[in-house]
Amino acid sequence: MRKNCRRKIRPLSFRFFSLITVLLVLGGCATDDVRHYLRPNAEAAGIKKIAVLPLETLTQDQYAGEKVRRMLISEILSRRADVIEPGEITSFLVALQKPLYRLEMKDIRELGEKLGADAVLLGSVEAYKMTSGLTVSYPDVSINLRLVETSSGKIIWSAVSTSGGASFWTRHFGAEGLSLSETARKVVKEAVDTLPLSDKTD
Amino acid sequence: MKWSKGLSLALILFTLVMNWGCKSAETRYHFAGDTDLSYIKKVAVLPLDNLTNDKFAADAVRQVVINELLLTGLVDVALPGDAAVAMEKAGVREASSLSAPKIKEIAGALKVQAVILGAVEKYGEVRSGSFTAPEVTITLMMADAETGSILWSVTKTEVGDSFTARHFGARSDSLSELTQKVVRDCVGTLQKYSR
Repeated sequence: MRKNCRRKIRPLSFRFFSLITVLLVLGGCATDDVRHYLRPNAEAAGIKKIAVLPLETLTQDQYAGEKVRRMLISEILSRRADVIEPGEITSFLVALQKPLYRLEMKDIRELGEKLGADAVLLGSVEAYKMTSGLTVSYPDVSINLRLVETSSGKIIWSAVSTSGGASFWTRHFGAEGLSLSETARKVVKEAVDTLPLSDKTD
Repeated sequence: MKWSKGLSLALILFTLVMNWGCKSAETRYHFAGDTDLSYIKKVAVLPLDNLTNDKFAADAVRQVVINELLLTGLVDVALPGDAAVAMEKAGVREASSLSAPKIKEIAGALKVQAVILGAVEKYGEVRSGSFTAPEVTITLMMADAETGSILWSVTKTEVGDSFTARHFGARSDSLSELTQKVVRDCVGTLQKYSR
């Protein structure tokens, strides 16, 4: 009787099947990635007020930089840090008459003095699109951010945050993934999570 | 006994299949002589040459290079804006036309011990049969601020597909993820000569 039971269960096939399933699922897991640098003792810098500059758009979507910038502002504000009014930054940049990629240390210091910002957040959006695979489309968002202390002109934080491709379940079973905006919000949130912020109420 | 034999066979098969499927591209790098790079505390990453059809490729890769260099903890990086202005003042439009005296001039203006330059040769999706995967090829070099000579150079190509992605539909890297991986591997070679 016992012998018959063992034959029916066939433990080798079961284990083999389980192993393959686990590996396939793990191989298909979408993992978002934030690689960030934080200058030693940067937390002590006590960044309370940030000027979020327009981000460079390095994608086909010409508004990607502005979309991500707004998400960044809202995410920073939700952490009770203060943000300089975007309009004030625009006025400063217009008066400066320089494109973003030519902003020097002295310009950042001047911005800090004039607008009262402890740090300037700048960066770029490298991907902001729906990527089409053979059977499935998935959002692809990648941003690159740098926080520059206005007093020293040094980069105190830097991060690259990227969304992953379509998951195993989306590819094979049509499971609903995040939309492009949701993915962008997630990428921004994960990047800001690593930002050394001080509560403005401190 | 039968059990363990079967399991071992399955594991061996699986390992072999995974190894065949893993295309780990080699990172080719070179250091000039017995170079000690410990004196380099700050570098400037100059705009990379874009040898692709994607007009944003060089800028996108440059941003990642800056982040990865900072992440090594070995060097500080000059602001990209400062580098752009220093190049302009030196009358250099493209990093590919840099001569040793110009490198010295730019590095002196930026107060850095070395400059990073290079090129993006491939940045996009490639189709192979019914499968599409991203491909990235970059070359980076580090030039000494005092002499203008090349201290370090590295090149890497990687395609973002894998055996499991190709055959079982597992997730493959996106172009941005692959770029990060390639840059990380390239910059990682610097760690080997940091003392």
